[in-house]
Amino acid sequence: MTENQDFLKRLLTLPGLSGFEDPVRKVIAEEWQTLVDELKVSPLGSLHGLKRGYGPEPRPRVLLAAHMDAIGLMVTSIQEGLLRVTAIGGVDPRILPGTPVTVHGRRDLPAWVAAPPDHLLPPSQAGKPVSLEYLLVDTGLSAQEVAELVRVGDLVSFNTQPVELSGGVIAGHSLDKGASVAAVTECLRTLQQMKPGWDVWTVATVQEEITMAGALTSPFDLRPQIAIVVDVTFAKGPGASDYRAFEMDKGPMLGVGPNIHPAIFQSFKTLAEELDLPCAVEPMPAHSGTDAFGIQVVAEGIPCMVLGIPLRYMHTPVEAVMLKDIRRTGWLMAQFIARMEMNFMEKVRMEDAE
Amino acid sequence: MKALIKKFVEAAGPSGFENAVRDLVKAEIAPYVDRIEVDALGSLIAWKGSRQPGGKRVMISAHLDEIGVIATHVDQNGFVRFTPLGAVRPHTCLGGRVIFQNGTRGVIGSERLEDLARTPGFEQMFIDVGAASREDCPVRTGDAGSFDRDFVALSENRLAAKAMDDRIGVAVQVEVIRQLKASPNELVFVFSTQEEVMLRGATTAAYAVDPEIGISIDVTVSGDTPRGIKMETALGKGPAIKVRDAGMISDPRLVRHMCAAAERLGIPVQLEILEGGTTDARAIQTTRAGVPAGCVSIPCRYIHSPSEVLDYQDVINSVKLLVELLGHPIDLQ
Repeated sequence: MTENQDFLKRLLTLPGLSGFEDPVRKVIAEEWQTLVDELKVSPLGSLHGLKRGYGPEPRPRVLLAAHMDAIGLMVTSIQEGLLRVTAIGGVDPRILPGTPVTVHGRRDLPAWVAAPPDHLLPPSQAGKPVSLEYLLVDTGLSAQEVAELVRVGDLVSFNTQPVELSGGVIAGHSLDKGASVAAVTECLRTLQQMKPGWDVWTVATVQEEITMAGALTSPFDLRPQIAIVVDVTFAKGPGASDYRAFEMDKGPMLGVGPNIHPAIFQSFKTLAEELDLPCAVEPMPAHSGTDAFGIQVVAEGIPCMVLGIPLRYMHTPVEAVMLKDIRRTGWLMAQFIARMEMNFMEKVRMEDAE
Repeated sequence: MKALIKKFVEAAGPSGFENAVRDLVKAEIAPYVDRIEVDALGSLIAWKGSRQPGGKRVMISAHLDEIGVIATHVDQNGFVRFTPLGAVRPHTCLGGRVIFQNGTRGVIGSERLEDLARTPGFEQMFIDVGAASREDCPVRTGDAGSFDRDFVALSENRLAAKAMDDRIGVAVQVEVIRQLKASPNELVFVFSTQEEVMLRGATTAAYAVDPEIGISIDVTVSGDTPRGIKMETALGKGPAIKVRDAGMISDPRLVRHMCAAAERLGIPVQLEILEGGTTDARAIQTTRAGVPAGCVSIPCRYIHSPSEVLDYQDVINSVKLLVELLGHPIDLQ
């Protein structure tokens, strides 16, 4: 895992906000280069890697998707040298004041998110977490310098370094994307020692946090027979203990609901039990909140499976994940793919599902 | 161009009922394009030029439809109950007038309001078409109508009308088609239907056209009115190049390319971040395997009211910007 751990830590130091994924795509492409037979970039910037299978042609295709975009901020106006911002993705404004950020202007500028003094805010904001429209980003530069270096539409990304906590937990910003991409990469590494019959397309999608534009488009040309989507899910903890949260260190969550093909879910569950791998079932009553929601309805429709990695403090700069959960998620996918027979689709017919 | 704008904005074409507007557009562009088709959803698709070395297939889209109303029930005294077609705001309705597709005019009234501080909902409103009974009423359930309001030039550059959203885009696109003499690109101009009800026309048109680049022309919100929405865009400061809206992040390469084109021309432009709403460009971006997409917006006040106001110079500059953009290779770097 150390190789993958270094890769993950590198991902967590990069910007790569939704719609602007270039920096993170480059690093993933470097990592996948030796693990796949072919690499392509979609018209919207998603990265497609092909690892050819060993079965007879024409081979069926499985798509593994993890989104590579991260949440962050975007400059909407400049007032007296300070920046007003809007969110890209579901940023939680409660934790923003005091967060170090980088403003990607004509050059990268270190900055902080700041909140005006409580007693000077409108009464509707006083004594409460301040909403995003009242927060400011301060670069320390003069109004004139800011006018030269920053303009509306510039990106602002979190500038916190990843930290390895005790107990095999890693924390940092954008683990949301990092953990999922690392799990798919772990799967590719494991597959190097295996001889899967199917072609495997690994896809690092763009814009999941905003419009799912990557998930809605990447499968169109690839036309996989099935898609397996990896994303993070809410980990249990004090204040987050109901049925929508899951134990860390208890392996991947297996999603179940209308967004997920019931027979493929069942095969994953059976396999996890056979391998004695910890996992739990995550009910997804409607929108899975993952790329699977987009992928499922591309072209004629694509059967989807969703694997979730439990994560604490979602959409904050201190997201935390258990490294073992990432490894197990990648490993389970590889085991599943290695066991897929050429006629697998005949065995997971919708009408046969329980 | 003001006469053209007046002609388009005063035509009636609520979402799903765009025939009259489409006919006007067809007549204006026919001599300037190679081929015209009307697709299954009623969008007008016009092809101009072929792809030369360095060129691409580019889809440009402006929507024909406008927000409006549809009759849901006629009561026994001849009053027409209705529901909105698209995002009509109820506070802009009372005292307004509508015109149905069959030419029937009516005024919007409401039940007695208990609390004047509260905007009544559509369920409390009705349209009075001057009928005395259900039998006498020329409007039937399912009849669509649009708001009825004349075009007016408030001053030399400030124009007011209903349906500036998006007839101004339609007018700009028609003018671009007329002015463009040569291009290395295969240009496919789409006048789409049903944008106001989830981008339906552009969704299927984009699939059919299969473009390599997509650009929509639409209005955007203007942040320059008293205690209005917080937004940097203002009337008269040039076309707005969309960075993002609620449905799309523009391709950053296309945004850079558009800014560079404006700089070459020496025309002012603004960068747009719109927090609510989206345009046809979103439908183009997510068609098939994905298409780099962007949008040229015309800043507009009071969007989705019967009096939308914009600046004529922004319109003229939008035409210039698009002629420059489309007349040259679009190399995304």
